Amino acid sequence: MRILLAEDDFASRKFMDKQLSRYGECDVMVDGEEAVDAFLMALEDDEPYDLVCLDVMMPVMDGYQVLKAIRDIESQRGIPKSKGVKVIMTTALNDERNVKMAFELGCEAYAGKPIDVEKFEKVLNKLGLI
Amino acid sequence: MAEELKNEEMEELLEEEDSQKGKFMTFQTGKEFFGISISYVNEIIAMQPIAAIPEVDDYIKGLINLRGKIIPVIDVRVRFKMEPSEYTDRTCIIVIDVNSTMIGLIVEKIAEVDTIADDSIVPPPSLGRKEHEHNKYVYGLARTGDAVKLLLDPEKLIRQEEIEAVMEDIRKED
Amino acid sequence: MAEEFNTESMLDMFLYESGQLLEKLEGIILEKQDADCFDDSDINEIFRVMHTIKGSSGVLMYENITKVTHKLEDVFYYLRESHPDDVPHMELVEKVLAVSDFVTGELDKLKNGDTPDGDEHQLVEDLDEFLGRLKGEIKKQGIQMPQANKHEEPKQFYITPVAGDDSHFYRISIHYRSDTQMSNIRAYSATYALKEVAEDLLYTPDDILSNEASGDVILAEGFHMLLQTKSSKEEVIALIDSSEAEEINFDELTKGEYGKALAEFGREDAVTIDLGEEDKAEEKDKKKDKPQPGDYVVKTKEAGKGKTLAKNQPKQQSIISVNVEKMDALMDLIGELVIAEAVVLQNPDLKVPGLELSNFQKASGQLSKITTELQEVIMSMRMMPLTNVFQKMKRIVFDVSRKLDKDIELEVIGENTEVDKNIIEHITDPLMHLVRNSVDHGIEENAEDRTTLGKPAKGKITLEAKNEGGKVYISVKDDGKGLNKEKLYQKAIDKGLIENKLISEFTDKEIFRFITLPGFSTKEEVTEYSGRGVGMDVVVKNIQSIGGRLDIESVEFEGSEMTLIIPLTLAIINGIVVQVGNSPFVIETASIKEFVRVGEDSLIHEPSGEEYIVLRGECYPFIRLNERYDLADSISNVEEGIVVVLEHEGSQVCVLIDKLLQEQEIVVKPIPPYVKKVKGLSGCTQLGDGSIALILDIAGLLIQDGERR
Repeated sequence: MRILLAEDDFASRKFMDKQLSRYGECDVMVDGEEAVDAFLMALEDDEPYDLVCLDVMMPVMDGYQVLKAIRDIESQRGIPKSKGVKVIMTTALNDERNVKMAFELGCEAYAGKPIDVEKFEKVLNKLGLI
Repeated sequence: MAEELKNEEMEELLEEEDSQKGKFMTFQTGKEFFGISISYVNEIIAMQPIAAIPEVDDYIKGLINLRGKIIPVIDVRVRFKMEPSEYTDRTCIIVIDVNSTMIGLIVEKIAEVDTIADDSIVPPPSLGRKEHEHNKYVYGLARTGDAVKLLLDPEKLIRQEEIEAVMEDIRKED
Repeated sequence: MAEEFNTESMLDMFLYESGQLLEKLEGIILEKQDADCFDDSDINEIFRVMHTIKGSSGVLMYENITKVTHKLEDVFYYLRESHPDDVPHMELVEKVLAVSDFVTGELDKLKNGDTPDGDEHQLVEDLDEFLGRLKGEIKKQGIQMPQANKHEEPKQFYITPVAGDDSHFYRISIHYRSDTQMSNIRAYSATYALKEVAEDLLYTPDDILSNEASGDVILAEGFHMLLQTKSSKEEVIALIDSSEAEEINFDELTKGEYGKALAEFGREDAVTIDLGEEDKAEEKDKKKDKPQPGDYVVKTKEAGKGKTLAKNQPKQQSIISVNVEKMDALMDLIGELVIAEAVVLQNPDLKVPGLELSNFQKASGQLSKITTELQEVIMSMRMMPLTNVFQKMKRIVFDVSRKLDKDIELEVIGENTEVDKNIIEHITDPLMHLVRNSVDHGIEENAEDRTTLGKPAKGKITLEAKNEGGKVYISVKDDGKGLNKEKLYQKAIDKGLIENKLISEFTDKEIFRFITLPGFSTKEEVTEYSGRGVGMDVVVKNIQSIGGRLDIESVEFEGSEMTLIIPLTLAIINGIVVQVGNSPFVIETASIKEFVRVGEDSLIHEPSGEEYIVLRGECYPFIRLNERYDLADSISNVEEGIVVVLEHEGSQVCVLIDKLLQEQEIVVKPIPPYVKKVKGLSGCTQLGDGSIALILDIAGLLIQDGERR
């Protein structure tokens, strides 16, 4: 599968990249805007991503903005919800309010850092990605 | 950070323990000299106003306020069934800490800190005579210079109290 | 920094909400345990509770909880849709409680940071079997079977953060030799080497490459790193180039410490936030503000600072949870403040004659007002209703009465009564014991024993709490056998617990008190629930340790009432300082009825040496404190001293003192345990001048006085 990872922190990025690369090809971005660009580009090329992992605190655009942008782009292009890309937020912001907001914005999963790799895999399974 | 501090503290304590080995705070009461291992001694303070507590054994003189902490003080002379003496400006309170119980010992006169080697300590002769009340609390005799010092076991001093207190309770409930 | 953001994490919220729901559930169940069936609103409520917990546990992927609640939800779905008759109510109650216990157990594991790994299979099977029978019943009764309860799999998941079990957390500090060249580059290479093994790495200063000045900072303050990794200490040390280092400090941290350290480093979890005045004002207007996309855009790093958010994060919280230890610390501090205030306001330096103090008095009045308020606030913060404690008691009555096969109704009154949190902790066990005793020993074994006495077949236990005169009364009353005085007396005599006096020489209360003697247990056989021989004496000890006492009333064949009388709070009382001889004593203001001066002619001298005082025709026992406590240099002539009339629980006693000193708030401290307990003294305190005063315990004085007579 194709994976997009947006994460500005080097150590986290390296760790996530290593984890995600087990499941497929992983493109890595370092800020929110780049992530949106990459997502759009993949759509244009008709090679959409299957999974997007977003950090929340990033330069230029934060993860929630990216998530919202992705969902907006999808609805604008008439992509049905069931066909939308699966989005997992990966962040240390674990307040209930933040999680609820991300759910409302339409992410599939919200993973608190440090990430529980076992459960992460379980979620990929439940989402039908692996 | 907490970890660091703790380690340092521990080391300090260990070091202290080391340097405290064989050192005794000695004091004079009547004609006799007593010693107490310095590891039990927290500090020595001047005589303070003491709030008496009614209905307790006569050697418990009352409570003192040690910077906000309230601790009991006992008169060593009375504890050893000697005639109480007047408190003078040489009278001191040795604050000891035995298993986290803080207690002040009123003594007539502080002598000095002595180093006493383990091998110069001999067990007290058991005379089986009752009048030597303090024998209960003395675990050894040491000769330093020209004087014989009676080394006190503060733990015994405390434990004894507790047992007595419990016995008292039991007697009452009966 | 992070502590300012005491926001609830997703997991905390789940634990909190589920806990609340389960409590509510138990409430419903225990209330309706004796009914024939649940009514519609109960069924709806239980369905909803299960549905909610199922949903949220699904999102958090606690599958065993999801499965169990799912099954029970199904059961209640059928009850709700089909209203079948003849549902075995008791069995249903048991099932609900079993589920509730299971989920509670799993939540407790989560609270302790463990994995909720309880095995749900048996429970799910039981529920399945029950559901099968229920469906059969529905068919038999010819009710239309509702469509199967649809379950939606959660579509969104929350992965709770966890550090891999094999992750280690380190804090590494490197101090380079002061002549090290380009220490920032050295520091950077250290981070570079660590990035190979790091799961997370943070360092300060964090601008080591872009800012050359950071080299000086590193030389002066050292270079500090936080590292999360799977590698061992040795492996990590091997990675760090130590050639120019003077000292490398290497600490392994726990996860919690690591989190705290992260906060100190000013990192994501603990974002630096500058809240301008303006924002604060705005904040008040929009309390319900939610975070918005765009709130978390990170500004480019500034030299020497942690990451900063471009937009200020709105900060609002109506309820925060506070560590009890912090509350206790605050409480202690306020106690010290009260003492310090007294030291200042009653400072002997102020007693210089002719000193102009009017401004000082004004200012000190203001200060006193504030400290008083401060005390009230902290007290109110610590107050908690007894609801939870009473809930536990309901469960105990339920469990024990069923085990013993007794039919018992429990009435609860005043469960909203509030008491200090630390008191709640102290009374739960004693209360539990009393309730068990009532169920086990109080209520008759056979219903016939009751009906022959004209009592209803169903036993009744009343649990009541009320707040009166600065004390809390919690009583456990049953309408059972009551205490048999002769039996109690005989037993106490047989066991040698009391002196050999005739039964008629004891008052009823004294006889009832025998059961609180150590080694006394009225029941011949030891049962599972009470009567282990260590019973009432422990209850009494626990209660006494918080300054309370146990009152026992009983009428044989009609029932017993055990009342715990406990102070509202432990720490601070209003007291009047009096002097006898050279010793100051404190008397709690609430127990003082009046101060009087009496003449020698008001005294009655008994031949036995006892004395009484006659005031307005009433006769009161008289205690000379100086004689009682052997205090020297005190006034013994009644006409020169002051007589204080004290009241406790309806009994009065007059006490002779020398003079009144002042009224003040008293921070109660225990008398050091080394000193054995003196009857009539409940504690001690530090006065304004640093001296120590003993606090009189009126109840103790009265008891002691009674014993002497």
